[in-house]
Amino acid sequence: MSEPRIGVYVCHCGFNIAGTVDVKKVVEFAKNLPNVVVAKEYVFMCSEPGQDLIKEDIKANNLNRIVVAACSPSLHEVTFRTAIKEAGLNKYLLEMANIREHCSWVHHDKEKATEKAKEIVRMAVAKARYLEPLEELEVGAETSALVLGGGIAGIRAALELANYGFHVYLVEKSPTIGGKAALIGYIDPQTKGAEVVSKMIDKIKECPRIQVLTNAELIQLGGFVGNYNAKIRINPRFVNERCTLCGECEEVCPVEVANEYNFGLSRRKAIFLPFANAYPPYYAIDYRVCVKCGECEKVCRFRAINLKEEAKILELKVGTLIVATGYDPYRPFKGEYGYGLHPNILTLFQLERLLDPDSPTKGELIIGGKIPKNIAFIQCVGSRNTTPGAKEYCSRMCCTTAINSAIKIKERYPNTNVYILYKDIMTYGSDETLYEEAGKKLVNFIKFEEKIPKVLITPEGLFIEVFEYTIQENIRIPVDAIVLSIGMLPPRDIEELIAVTRVSCGGEGFVREAHLKLAPVEAPTKGIFLAGCITGPKNILESIRMGSAAAAKAMALLSKGKITIEPMIAQVNEEKCSGCAICVGVCPYSAISIKTVNGDRIAHVEKALCMGCGTCSAACPSGAMQHLGFKDLQLLAQTRAVFGGEVHG
Amino acid sequence: MAEQKSEFEPKIVVYACNWCTYAATDLAGTSRMSYPPNVRIIRVMCSGRVDPQLVLQAFADGADGVIVAGCHPPADCHYIEGNYKAYRRFELFRKLLGAMGIEQERFRLEWISAAEASRWVQVVNEMVAQLKKLGPLKPNMEVRE
Amino acid sequence: MSEKPKVAWYWCASCGGCEESFVDLAERLLKVFETFDIVFCPVAMDFKREDVEKLPDGSIAVSLINGGIRMKEHEEMVKLLRKKSNIVIAYGACSAWGGVPGLANLYNLDEIVERKYLEIPTIENPKEILPTKKTIVNIPEAKIKAELELPEPLPTLLPIDKVIDVDYYIPGCPPTPDVFWNALQALLTGNLPPKGTVIGALQRSLCDECLLNETKPEKLLVKEFKRVEKAIPEPNKCLLAQGFLCMGPVTRGGCTALCIKANMPCTGCFGILDGVVDYGGKAISYFGSILDYSPMEEKEIKKAFESIPDWIGTIYRYSLPSAKLSHRAGLKRSKLMKEVFEI
Repeated sequence: MSEPRIGVYVCHCGFNIAGTVDVKKVVEFAKNLPNVVVAKEYVFMCSEPGQDLIKEDIKANNLNRIVVAACSPSLHEVTFRTAIKEAGLNKYLLEMANIREHCSWVHHDKEKATEKAKEIVRMAVAKARYLEPLEELEVGAETSALVLGGGIAGIRAALELANYGFHVYLVEKSPTIGGKAALIGYIDPQTKGAEVVSKMIDKIKECPRIQVLTNAELIQLGGFVGNYNAKIRINPRFVNERCTLCGECEEVCPVEVANEYNFGLSRRKAIFLPFANAYPPYYAIDYRVCVKCGECEKVCRFRAINLKEEAKILELKVGTLIVATGYDPYRPFKGEYGYGLHPNILTLFQLERLLDPDSPTKGELIIGGKIPKNIAFIQCVGSRNTTPGAKEYCSRMCCTTAINSAIKIKERYPNTNVYILYKDIMTYGSDETLYEEAGKKLVNFIKFEEKIPKVLITPEGLFIEVFEYTIQENIRIPVDAIVLSIGMLPPRDIEELIAVTRVSCGGEGFVREAHLKLAPVEAPTKGIFLAGCITGPKNILESIRMGSAAAAKAMALLSKGKITIEPMIAQVNEEKCSGCAICVGVCPYSAISIKTVNGDRIAHVEKALCMGCGTCSAACPSGAMQHLGFKDLQLLAQTRAVFGGEVHG
Repeated sequence: MAEQKSEFEPKIVVYACNWCTYAATDLAGTSRMSYPPNVRIIRVMCSGRVDPQLVLQAFADGADGVIVAGCHPPADCHYIEGNYKAYRRFELFRKLLGAMGIEQERFRLEWISAAEASRWVQVVNEMVAQLKKLGPLKPNMEVRE
Repeated sequence: MSEKPKVAWYWCASCGGCEESFVDLAERLLKVFETFDIVFCPVAMDFKREDVEKLPDGSIAVSLINGGIRMKEHEEMVKLLRKKSNIVIAYGACSAWGGVPGLANLYNLDEIVERKYLEIPTIENPKEILPTKKTIVNIPEAKIKAELELPEPLPTLLPIDKVIDVDYYIPGCPPTPDVFWNALQALLTGNLPPKGTVIGALQRSLCDECLLNETKPEKLLVKEFKRVEKAIPEPNKCLLAQGFLCMGPVTRGGCTALCIKANMPCTGCFGILDGVVDYGGKAISYFGSILDYSPMEEKEIKKAFESIPDWIGTIYRYSLPSAKLSHRAGLKRSKLMKEVFEI
């Protein structure tokens, strides 16, 4: 770069600056600063004549750096960058001196404000001397998306993307999509999650742009935004689309395990149909438990079973990834409120399945062989620090779900007494009407505080002892069944998810969004978005909305077909880099890796992943990593200029 | 002597992150708040960009005080955890300052969100008052009377 | 005798290790003697200051100076050598950046003298005799009666480039024979880099030549800092990754990672790299960076930092006098300077 020739332009901003700062004095001062060729004032520098003044000077005086002393860069940096670009200068050769927000608007003493404005200009000129031209980079991008997790959030996201014409791979670990919303929960008192899921699945069936991959896992993710390479392992299902759901295979299968789709309420075979509306609509063999006896293969008249099927690896190129792998229900430990010690103590998830028409009791509330006369719900199991293994947070859905179930029970079994033992009722938003409705239906609400209820298993039956907080008395309730309103946990395999996708965990163990206000539904890594309960407990509606939100962000990215890479990012000086790898560990975006160049270990910045925070540059022990636009030399020059000093380099 | 001290105007160098604190300093301006003119603000993208070397340079050149300011932990940082890094680096940096006989009041690491213009003004007011009490740093760094 | 290039070899505040390193050249020493004419070398030869003063200005080809400037005498001598020499080389960490004796910049002269003459456990000084500017030496048996005058101490120790213009730096505490030899070769061939740079060593940090660099985990993050005094490093695994405060990443390479080969972390004697402005500041930055805690884990962070008793001695072991903050604040209040040396 040739010797800096700097033009300094001091704005009056009407009286906004000139009312407090003696602009003429600042201009005179600027003229004597090193490398300053011209210094001028104007009443409104951002106006067209003001911008023209700069443009003409650039040409007339062969200027190669511009300092505009005016307002905050957040206001007009873009304006002046565009202006100097129009005059043929690289737009990054501009430095703003903020003498309005930082000076004239906050100080009243004219003399002191003028002195300060001079110094702010001196600092900007000092930095400008070391500015370098920078170029934006553009790379091509794939226009397809990978949605990880076939729950309601993932399905919603996939549908949104497909509706707008993008190709979607919907990858689900289990043999069916639908997730937990297909099994439990309500959207409103009348609409079950399962109904919504069913309708969405119908749409997926019709949509050619969505490729559903079940029994599938993401095992490797390479590349970067716009150009991800995803490696998917498809575990064998052993059953193909010829399956007619006749069910004969199930009868001959000798292996029986707890049915996870009923949360252990019933048992299933190794070959099974997850639930009535499962999709794809055919049986699956659980490859983890199947003993390969071959009985099912023999009995199947449609040759739909092939036990020799093997896992397949699929390599996909996608522009973006939506992570929507959901949650796990809280797992009460044995003995927690009597869980596991008495058959009539079940979880809210199990109760919900029990009340489903598809359940072993065909939807009847039959627990321990009979309809309970007294049934009690205990809230906040596993949430809000209530129980020993509990999390801090509220799981958001348990109050509403429990109350909704209580109402349904009261409607169908008016003689059954329903108790809800709670800490606080969190039926927020319109769900509050349910709380009111439950009161009208004479559901008994019993409040406890720190002292949690005690479940007693006696020869006379089940009892709950609780200190009722509102009446301040110990009470003892005889019950026939107890429902534990369990909360949500981060999914068990979240560690693998983090290892593969490089998303990061928040304090509660769920995946965290890059920024709650500035970058919601975005993962820290560019091009990865988040939806549903993977970021924390949500109800079904919230998950659906987040699915749409993530899809919208993904579409904004995919629709361009290319990615623009900001130039103010990290850059390695390979001559200086020793491959010490300090930068690799500090990068929040995993944008830096160590590569071998001519036999030497050298840090490598993946430009598309770098967000330009500069923390690697601050950490780099040898000054090899530089933050373009905020290089060591530039910031040192600015620092030294506060005191009238200069740097040499 | 007391008179001399009241004339002393400390100079404070501020490294402000673009997203939170720099925005707060702008907001203080647009809200026409008022604070003493002793601060010189250097914009960086993230408090995690602030290299302790810069702060040392500022002190060596004659800064009476330095503020490094960023977004509130845990979750406000635009770059996820740049503020974490700033926090750890400058916790250690305080040890250096202490060993070098420099008063802890001369260095502040502050979390000021984009909305906290009044917090910014408060920090400047407090620090200017504290530094006026302490007096200039430079004479104290000289080795001969 | 033909005119061989003249070399002067002088020591300021130094331990003598640099001279040892000269001897460590072993058989290559013969080549040195063959090539150069040593005109001044107080550690080995009896030339005096007057002998140097008599030499014409610029007549010494190379002056190698080790040790930092602690006394007025050092200052005068290096200024004299500068005047007489074509090239002046700061030899070793002390003359380049102050070295270990530079850590005395954390104390004023009174504290140093009190510590040295009264406090340390190995001293026996019941009469509390302290150095004075002038001492009468009277030994009648030997017919010696003289007044000795101590050279005036400076308030702080300075690297030599704060007193004179330095052409090149040879790093190390002491420089390794190979680094010295490389530098000599460069001098002899005239194949010299721009003035003011380090010769004989690498342009990259120590990690570049460290055999353990390959063993670093993908993300170099630690939960605690360890000291070799308290824990034994696992062999064949990056010491920094194990939590030992290895200065390798911030230190110039060129020593072939000798300490690491002995399973000891680098303490930084090859000093600062070009483009880094404060060695300790950078060290703080990367140690702070790799400590893997959030600000909410304040206690763990404090605990990790407090586990290292002497941070300044760790991060500025060889370079405090050349740091941006080169000495402790408030050092000027020294009684010794005022009362004894009337300064």
